[in-house]
Amino acid sequence: MWFRSVFLKTLRDFRVAILGWGVGMGLLMYAVLSAFPSLVETPQARASLVSLSASFTWIAEPIKVDTPGGYLTFKYGFTILVMALWPLLVGSRMLRGEEERGSMDALLSLPRGRVRLALEKMAAMWVALLAMALLIGFLTFGSGRSVTPSIDLGDALLFGLNLSLICGVFGSIALFISQFTQERRTAAGITGGLLLLFIVLDMLHRVISGTEWISRFSPVYYYNLSKPLVPGYGTNAGALLVLVALNVILSGAAIAIFARRDVGGVVAMPRWLRLPERALSPERALPAEAWSLRSIYRRSLAQIAVPTFWWTFGLAAFAGWMIVVIKQTEATLATLTESSPILKDLITKVGGGDVTTNATFLSAFYVLLPVLLMAFAVTQASRWAADEEDGLQELILATPQPRLRVLLARFGAVATATGIISVVTLIVAALSSAVSGLKLDGGNLAAATLSIIPLGLLMAAVGYLLSGWLRAAVETGILSFLLVIWFFITFVGPELNWPAATLRLSALYYYGTPLLHGLPVGDMLAILAVAIVALVLASVRFVRKDIGR
Amino acid sequence: MAAIIEAEALTKRYGGKRGIAGVSFQVEEGEVFGFLGPNGAGKTTTIRVLMALLKADAGTARIAGMDAWQQSVEIKKLIGYLPGELALDPHLTGGQILEYFGHLRGGVDQTYLKQLIGRLNLDPSRKFRQYSTGDKRKLGLIQAFMHRPRLLVLDEPTNGLDPLNQQEFEHMVQEMRDDGRTVFLSSHILTEVEQTCSRVAIIREGQIARVGGVAEVKDIKRYEIAITFATAVPADAFRTLTGVERVDALPDGHTLRLAMQGVADEVIKVAARYPVVTLTSHEPSLEDIFLRYYEGDGQAVKEASHVVS
Repeated sequence: MWFRSVFLKTLRDFRVAILGWGVGMGLLMYAVLSAFPSLVETPQARASLVSLSASFTWIAEPIKVDTPGGYLTFKYGFTILVMALWPLLVGSRMLRGEEERGSMDALLSLPRGRVRLALEKMAAMWVALLAMALLIGFLTFGSGRSVTPSIDLGDALLFGLNLSLICGVFGSIALFISQFTQERRTAAGITGGLLLLFIVLDMLHRVISGTEWISRFSPVYYYNLSKPLVPGYGTNAGALLVLVALNVILSGAAIAIFARRDVGGVVAMPRWLRLPERALSPERALPAEAWSLRSIYRRSLAQIAVPTFWWTFGLAAFAGWMIVVIKQTEATLATLTESSPILKDLITKVGGGDVTTNATFLSAFYVLLPVLLMAFAVTQASRWAADEEDGLQELILATPQPRLRVLLARFGAVATATGIISVVTLIVAALSSAVSGLKLDGGNLAAATLSIIPLGLLMAAVGYLLSGWLRAAVETGILSFLLVIWFFITFVGPELNWPAATLRLSALYYYGTPLLHGLPVGDMLAILAVAIVALVLASVRFVRKDIGR
Repeated sequence: MAAIIEAEALTKRYGGKRGIAGVSFQVEEGEVFGFLGPNGAGKTTTIRVLMALLKADAGTARIAGMDAWQQSVEIKKLIGYLPGELALDPHLTGGQILEYFGHLRGGVDQTYLKQLIGRLNLDPSRKFRQYSTGDKRKLGLIQAFMHRPRLLVLDEPTNGLDPLNQQEFEHMVQEMRDDGRTVFLSSHILTEVEQTCSRVAIIREGQIARVGGVAEVKDIKRYEIAITFATAVPADAFRTLTGVERVDALPDGHTLRLAMQGVADEVIKVAARYPVVTLTSHEPSLEDIFLRYYEGDGQAVKEASHVVS
């Protein structure tokens, strides 16, 4: 049945993603709604929550945050747009990916037109997105009902629909951009950048007054106009229509272009937008002295230079920005925590120390640093597995390079990248602290930024180990699942008062609160030891295994 | 001459699926050895075992006297390898790929490298993903030849090459042989093997069906006689004659094709009873021999005849 049409085949390809994203995002809703009653136990706690949320308008507009729906909408704010990553990747590879693999030629040899082919693929993406919306809606409704009867099914489904529409916009943007790029990953990269830009544009009017006209250029602004879960706020039909229109226009334009351009080609850009074509001299065509081509380690480093740059940028910017934010809200937070024992308790659980210090608040945010670095490690471990699957190891292993060296050189490049990311993050955080005037202990700041390295290495080593047996997609799925579970335990566990034994199951637990208590040397050495053991086992396996395709 | 490749009862299974079973052959130093078989026969599996990309379940493989698995790094210093499916970093240019592999091999003679690029007319400034199938093959061949290896292991080397470049490839192989180097190439293009190889092994369903010199394999006293008559003649008149193995009649009934083994005396005498227009006889091509090993196996015959057409 699933192979009867392009639509069904594509939908079949999405079945794991539908379940993963739908159930995963639904469970996150459940986690927040379950923790909500403890946050509003007393009138003081409720007041504190409302006041505190006012200091974080950059996340989302705090409307009725003392209601389950309002708190949920505020809590996830723009971070819920992480779900846009899925359609973003799907949109970029929908047509361009097929062209890169060469399978588009075969598809277009079938007796059906290009427009129909593209429409079938797009329909599959939308069915998947709507299925995710349903799952998220039902899970939100189900978990909401256990807390309060104020969330009704219609609102929960509209919440899922609104989320699907904004995520679909980024899929449509990626599809459109992919008509102008030779590679799908370029389209995905540009769209990812636009996602961040649009989030910041939307954020602008909440942080700086009088800038709403700028925010209107961001699709995220129209997503945020609808807050179906917030009692009395409801859904903005006009905003929903804007999102639908954006999807139709961008996807329609992409399909129109695809129907007219060469397969494998791109739309010709105006001359002034094109990069100058350089004719390579014979010497440059054979770069015998090129630094990056002289060893597997150097080549691996060059290969991951661009993603490393962007991840470094992201982590360092986050670390620096959080310092500025904490500085700006310093006075408000001090007053709030003094007046609310429950809020004090909450911050202490996550931040892990004395709330009178700035470091306590910052510590609560800095727990995200190892999560982000581990996500980077997941992408790199996944690439290692994918390279073997794609046959890229075959010729390298046909040269007189021992397998162990090949593996260690690749891992060494990842380790170097994690080191660079951490050190740059430390430098930016230190500069930010100096410029903003937020007083922090230098040693602890170094510990907080540098002790993420062992966790990144752990994730990469576990990934290398799994790739000894598993295909890239399965390996990436398991690593991502592990990261989400650890994230869940560390961030939701304290709110739900989970026992310490459960919290210890998360690798993030061992990161501790270095910003407050310095480097947890024992824990870090233990993490490092586990990473080394995993790497040794991965090496033993790689040296002995059949190299597959 | 000493054997540079010695495969002894090599066996490799993929779970429940067949790989190769008990594959044994030897390749002498300085010869060009062809490894023939249709798709899925086990050619690539055998080559990947020799290259230590796969670990044999049983049997031994030795290259230049060294164990193919245990001493693979030493062995690879002697080998130039072209895989059947070439996968390389799509973002690197051809030139960058060649220099990278040159460095991994401890450096190559840049003058010789430029010569090879010129001979195969490859543009090294283009990115790998921009190359056509033929250009990718040329790049693979250049990286296999560029360090003047003692042994070349080439899996389907001319796949995707145009006739001009195939000819150039044959010259390159010839030069390697003249230089005392060994070439081990797999192919399902029998005429290519016929032209370039001195000995061949035929592999069928994971097992070696025959090993021998090209001339020896061809010389098994089989040949074909094609007789065109002025009128239609009964094919049955020839079926039971001495030396006749098979008779095929063309649809018009005027032309008969006889697969022969042994003397043709009776055939000539019977044919003389009818008005003969033409009579031709020719030696079997390697393709005919190749197909014969697959007789009785409908799928294999179909596949083989498809790939050699």
